[in-house]
Amino acid sequence: MNPFEKIFNYRILSRMEDSGVFLSTSHERSWLKLMLDHPSAAAAFSGVTLDKLQTLLEGEAPLNLAEDLIHKASTAEVQVYHPLVRVLRRSIQHHQGIQVSIGPNNGHPGPEQSGLPYRLEYSMVKREWYLLWYSWTRRDFMSIRLKKITSVCEVPAAPELVRTTQAEIHRILESRRQSAVIEVLPNYNRELSRILYAFSCFEKEVRYDEDKDTYYISLFYLGNEGEYVLSKMRFLGKRVRIVEGNWLKKRMRESALKALALYGASPDQTLTRQE
Amino acid sequence: MAKESFDKEIQFLRMLVLTSGAYSRQQFAERLGISVHTFDKTLKKLKEVATTLQEQPPEAQAQGFTDALRFNYYESADPLLLFLFQAKSLKESESLRISRILAALNGGQELAIKDLLDICCCGLDPENTFPDEKTIRGDLKYLQEVGAIVRGAGPRPYRYRLNNDLVKQLTGEELMDLFDFVDIMANTQLPSVQGYLLRNSLKKELLRQDAEKQAIEPFLYKYHYYSRILDEAHLSTLLAAIKSRSKVQFLYFSPKADTSYAAKSTNPLFERESGGRPETALPLKIVYDHQYGRWYLLTHSKHMGIRKYRMEGMTQIEEGEAVTEELFLAEQSALEQQIATSWLIDTGRPVTVRAKFLNPQRSGSARNFVKERVLLQGQWGVITEEDLHFFIYEITVNGTTEIKPWLRSFGSSCEVLAPRQLRQELIAEWKEMLDYYEPF
Repeated sequence: MNPFEKIFNYRILSRMEDSGVFLSTSHERSWLKLMLDHPSAAAAFSGVTLDKLQTLLEGEAPLNLAEDLIHKASTAEVQVYHPLVRVLRRSIQHHQGIQVSIGPNNGHPGPEQSGLPYRLEYSMVKREWYLLWYSWTRRDFMSIRLKKITSVCEVPAAPELVRTTQAEIHRILESRRQSAVIEVLPNYNRELSRILYAFSCFEKEVRYDEDKDTYYISLFYLGNEGEYVLSKMRFLGKRVRIVEGNWLKKRMRESALKALALYGASPDQTLTRQE
Repeated sequence: MAKESFDKEIQFLRMLVLTSGAYSRQQFAERLGISVHTFDKTLKKLKEVATTLQEQPPEAQAQGFTDALRFNYYESADPLLLFLFQAKSLKESESLRISRILAALNGGQELAIKDLLDICCCGLDPENTFPDEKTIRGDLKYLQEVGAIVRGAGPRPYRYRLNNDLVKQLTGEELMDLFDFVDIMANTQLPSVQGYLLRNSLKKELLRQDAEKQAIEPFLYKYHYYSRILDEAHLSTLLAAIKSRSKVQFLYFSPKADTSYAAKSTNPLFERESGGRPETALPLKIVYDHQYGRWYLLTHSKHMGIRKYRMEGMTQIEEGEAVTEELFLAEQSALEQQIATSWLIDTGRPVTVRAKFLNPQRSGSARNFVKERVLLQGQWGVITEEDLHFFIYEITVNGTTEIKPWLRSFGSSCEVLAPRQLRQELIAEWKEMLDYYEPF
């Protein structure tokens, strides 16, 4: 299962692309065979296709690693596939509009909305699928959990409308972009690798000030992701400090004050005070 | 030829991705423990691989390598670091020959060695020596071993064909479902590298079938540790060692040290004092830590007992002598017992942590994000008490170091009740963090 095979050599792959060869190896097919054992395979394919794939892969050696490779501190795997993934990915592909009914929120069913689907987004933290789309009804770019969608159907969209909506989506995404600068306290430079790993899921840039022996991480994120940035900051604790980003600074200060207030009293007193 | 090691490239890419642009050439080389000359050579090699594989307009290629590797959430659907696994060196003549064989077999008909020999000998640069039958036979044997081609059922002389049933037997719609499945599984499951390689081939096939090249990558994965695939480079070696109950030898660089790689001192030009330490241990389990996107190897060694290594610090891994099945199973089950209650990999003394989580103030049936998160991420911990305003979560874990960041990440929604020491530590930390923002 060594991934460094000469068959994957970049020159070979590039030539295969030129000559239109579909290259697949037993490494990849064994991997696929393992993945088809996952319960989500049933949602990803029709019964006919799944049977076909299983027959095609019958002769492959199974990739067996379950007991040797273990996962720790993961979010429970709520959902890997959602039935709407197949439907919506095609609407995205074909630049079609959609009409969506959304399940009840606060007890009231949401109104039907129409719009243009942009991307399907899977959160590795929540282990759930979201649809990113522009709602023509609400005139806004939104994210909605697939779980909340009760029905969806395609509606035709004129190419001109698709173009203007796409441009609007890009404009909104750009306008929601925010940045913050985080300082790694030099005392914790020895933990730099861990700290940088923790931020490696963001768009970021790192600056190193040699005189101060200090690292600064510039994070780029969308406005609604601020909460997640904060939770990362609290996760890393005193190793890191926000040096640019007033809203984040204010929130970190609030968190610390509130947490100290919580701890300031004995558990019983806290309870009384809350009520 | 000695087995090609990618240690240097892996360390290089890791540093490049994690520190994205923080260091000058000199600083970068120093930290990797290599010379600036080696730095330049490595960069050149990786650049060549990356640019050969990417169909980019020339202006994009002219961009700095670091920029090209910078993660851009809405733009980069392709796995950014996959090209590492496509960097294996190959003689130009060999790569040309193998490509010709595969292209010839792509025609749909089965071909014999003689046919392939003819194809490989025509049109080759006359300065190159023509391959002989033995060479072609060797190539076919290799291609058959890796499963790229299959031998037909007929008698000698054997005839071969491309193993592309996966795409030949599926309709266009089915192929798209397969692409989606592979994309989703490669991104959300482990291991990923084989899936990403397959994803690439499927993507090219879809593009060939649909010349309009519409958006075929509709998926995004939020908060994904995409650099985790670098460590998968060691996965096959280590899994094979576990399967064969063999020890491994390697040079270990603790990620806390200043240098993360050192050139082998066989070449006096690059000779440096090596900061790594040689280790020998019996690998028992591989652990993936979802909190940071990092890999660990858990081992046993005779004198040291259970030892844990970060995979990113392991270089020059080699399989050593095997131990008896009995010994392996005994050590493995001892380890399993020890890590049964570790949040990550701590094998320290078990302690019961009790924490009170405050429910968010909400109206109606709005979601309780705090409780949802505790249920999803709290591993084997349980909620022992519940009220309108709060709930108590209890878990027995080995030591408190590993669970602490998770508890702290809840901010003022979480109050640790026990053990007392953890409570005190958190109070001290919140005070210190408040100081950071005090003058604001």
